[in-house]
Amino acid sequence: MPELSAITGAFSDALTLHSISVILGGVLLGYLVGVIPGLNRSVAIAIAIPLTFYMSAYAAIAFLIGLSKGTAAGSAVSAILLNTPGEPSSAATCLDGYPMAKNGQPRKALKVGLLASVIGDLLSTLLLIAVVIPFASVALKFGPYELAAILIFALVFIAGMAGGSFLKGMAAGGMGVILGTVGLDPETGAMRLTFGFAELMEGVPILPLVIGTLALSEMFVQLDEYRRTKGGSSVRLGHNPDDDLSYGEFKKTLPTIFKSTGVGAFVGALPGLGPSVGSFMAYGLAKRGAKDPHSFGKGNPNGIAAAEAADNAVIPASYIPLFGLGIPGSVSAALLVGAFMIHGIQVGPLMLRDHPQMLFTIFAGMVVASLLMLAVGWYGLRIFAKVTNVPQNIVIPVVIFLCLAGIQVQGYGTFGLLTVFGFAIFGYFLKKHDYSFVTFLVAFIVTPMLEMNLRQSVILSGGEISILLQRPIALFFVVATVLMLLHLAWSSYRTYRQRRSVSL
Amino acid sequence: MTTDIAERRKNLWSGLGVTLLSCWLLIWIIPRYGGSGMAFGMHPQRLATLGAWVMLLCAAALALASLIQLKKSRAPLFKLPPLSNIWHQSWPFFYVLLFIGLATFIPLTWLAPFIVGTLVALLGERRWYVILLAAAIPTAALYLLTVHLMRIGVV
Repeated sequence: MPELSAITGAFSDALTLHSISVILGGVLLGYLVGVIPGLNRSVAIAIAIPLTFYMSAYAAIAFLIGLSKGTAAGSAVSAILLNTPGEPSSAATCLDGYPMAKNGQPRKALKVGLLASVIGDLLSTLLLIAVVIPFASVALKFGPYELAAILIFALVFIAGMAGGSFLKGMAAGGMGVILGTVGLDPETGAMRLTFGFAELMEGVPILPLVIGTLALSEMFVQLDEYRRTKGGSSVRLGHNPDDDLSYGEFKKTLPTIFKSTGVGAFVGALPGLGPSVGSFMAYGLAKRGAKDPHSFGKGNPNGIAAAEAADNAVIPASYIPLFGLGIPGSVSAALLVGAFMIHGIQVGPLMLRDHPQMLFTIFAGMVVASLLMLAVGWYGLRIFAKVTNVPQNIVIPVVIFLCLAGIQVQGYGTFGLLTVFGFAIFGYFLKKHDYSFVTFLVAFIVTPMLEMNLRQSVILSGGEISILLQRPIALFFVVATVLMLLHLAWSSYRTYRQRRSVSL
Repeated sequence: MTTDIAERRKNLWSGLGVTLLSCWLLIWIIPRYGGSGMAFGMHPQRLATLGAWVMLLCAAALALASLIQLKKSRAPLFKLPPLSNIWHQSWPFFYVLLFIGLATFIPLTWLAPFIVGTLVALLGERRWYVILLAAAIPTAALYLLTVHLMRIGVV
């Protein structure tokens, strides 16, 4: 367990002026991105990673975590005022947020959303801190058998749970694995799938991959959608004296906020499910448990509180498998791994051993980010309400330019620009055909770790599979993977049968 | 029902595409470019081959299931989208590719106002000052970042 001095040291590092200003910058940028419809967390992190190259490792991660948290809170603003969620996970917020704003209470709706976001985020961050250290201490005792088995299980689990078709999820995972093997083979030194390009010797560069597949491809999708929907007008914040949140009204939403935080944290801790599942699940539970379920969808503050608390609780909780096992459970967690890699840090349980001070400082920075989120959201309410009116026809060209600039700034040159373009086409295909993005990205990121552990397992066991009988944890995950595959195949078959019987 | 059929059709063709891609990977790309050498643990090609097999099996199953569903509902297997749709979906790619080509010869900073400004205008903006500001601000920001903050010169 960490010593008290390490924790106090971490907090004093996170509370320096430099640290606070970096986190504030991230939260502010994240809030703006969240507020602007069409931009999302993944796009923001992907194009912000190049900005962090010249920061220290801690500052870079704190900035990106601030950004990630800010987008989740900011997306509620456009959901409430514009009925267009800044993030897909805020779609549940629209259900009650927009009717409430239309009924002349936009400020109240925004404040409920903000407070629920901050409480959900803060509690989930505290849970992360409480859970991840013992979790990582146990994970440090795992050998290559256990780690290989857990990684394979996580990939299958994510493919099955990330939404959409399981078959598409697995196929996307396969693509990620293949791309993850590109570069020098660590054992033989053989060049793999580099096609003579020296730039690929260390593997597919992560920055062009994430900018292309996440940000640039998203802009191509947005351009296609912009043609059909040219945006709407947002509800204005007026000067209605009744339009403010009283303490009594806020108190009534607290039980919903706590319950939804629990739902969000649970969903977040499971890799692959994502904030959309969390927010809709919490919304459904709040509606089912309410005394007046018919008021949901017509401007009930508890609806906003449930969706926002769960949405924001998912993000810190999704870092539990990341810091505990090194498995990114979401796209934003996978992007954080990329940022860690760029700064030469291996994220996972080894951080607890090799960089404990940094790990605690990141956690302290996450708590600071939650509090800054409240200040930014509270005092910037009017400004953010105006930002929702920024038209898409300006946002899209600027983001396209930022994608190209991010690559050029890092000196990738024409090779980088062409790579980013290639991955944009690939990402566009994944999005348009609904192939699981998170499975692809997680598979790409964990493949080097998976390969190393598989290789060590093969060497240590001498190819003898019965060694698994002496490794109960590894055996458990192997059996769980097989059961999970069977379950997912069976549910896919059942869905197929149901759809067939409906169409006949 | 129509959406369902369109989705199945999409699954069929994307499944076939991924199946073909994985066959190409398994037959040609991985054996030829996947690396070779004496390995005590795993062969350098092992994991990539495994990934390609997963792709092949899943995509083939997806295509096959979609094909059966389409046949059962007697829907056509192929339906060409309107040409205007194809054009609307593809012009942004050509637009970006054009500027990537130009960026090989001219620094991106000098191209920036044209990349942003032209696209803003193409997307229907007619107020000259909005186009001007949208083009000038990101360009100035990139110039400031690379020349004055990062000191790497004009990129």
